[in-house]
Amino acid sequence: MTTDSQAFPEALVAVDVGASAVSLRVDPALYPVDALYGAAYVFIDRCYVLLDKPDASWRVTLSWRKQQPTGEQLRALVGEFANELLSCAWRAKIATDSRALIESVTAQALAGAMGPPSLDELEKFDFSEDTFEDPLGIALSWEEKHKKKARPDDPDPTQGASSAPEKKP
Amino acid sequence: MTPLRLHRDLYAASAVDRAFGVYAPHATLARREEAPYWVVDVSAQTPERERRVAGELANYALGLTVKERTR
Repeated sequence: MTTDSQAFPEALVAVDVGASAVSLRVDPALYPVDALYGAAYVFIDRCYVLLDKPDASWRVTLSWRKQQPTGEQLRALVGEFANELLSCAWRAKIATDSRALIESVTAQALAGAMGPPSLDELEKFDFSEDTFEDPLGIALSWEEKHKKKARPDDPDPTQGASSAPEKKP
Repeated sequence: MTPLRLHRDLYAASAVDRAFGVYAPHATLARREEAPYWVVDVSAQTPERERRVAGELANYALGLTVKERTR
């Protein structure tokens, strides 16, 4: 005996009490296939789930596993499946929208978890390349930037202490 | 005999193969192709057992298909 559920549009849901089954038509334009799989997977421990694609839409058939259900129980099952389907669709959309952010945060976390480089890695690192240009001299140390400029009459600092005048006691 | 029709777009072939192997000892199963479906004919001593084996096989194939997609 096939009856139409009172709570859902007739074109979407059909309840077959005699066969202990309920069929639900799902519009692919509203729900992605991942949401369909996700919702179906949630229900396979409670009933037999059969997916079909008779035309452009999908059809989900839920059959009771053991005891003979009432029409009310089958209608409740359809309601729960529809809610789960909506939840899965929403989660799939959130996952799609935030995929780039999640990948970025995960990459940063993994890079941080690797810890500081080892001495071997530092030894192999190439420091010879100029990492950036510094036309204003910002990267110079204070000593390099403000060191005393040499005058022509100053003694040659490369001559050392031997050329310096001896101090008298 | 209970024919179980699994749509090719929704069920992975490898998942149907594995489910077929798992439930073959529990009933007489025959597999054939009938585009766009994989069809598994389930024969058992009682219609109730056929229904149960067909339902379990469909659930198993669906579970494997979902797991393959999420890898």
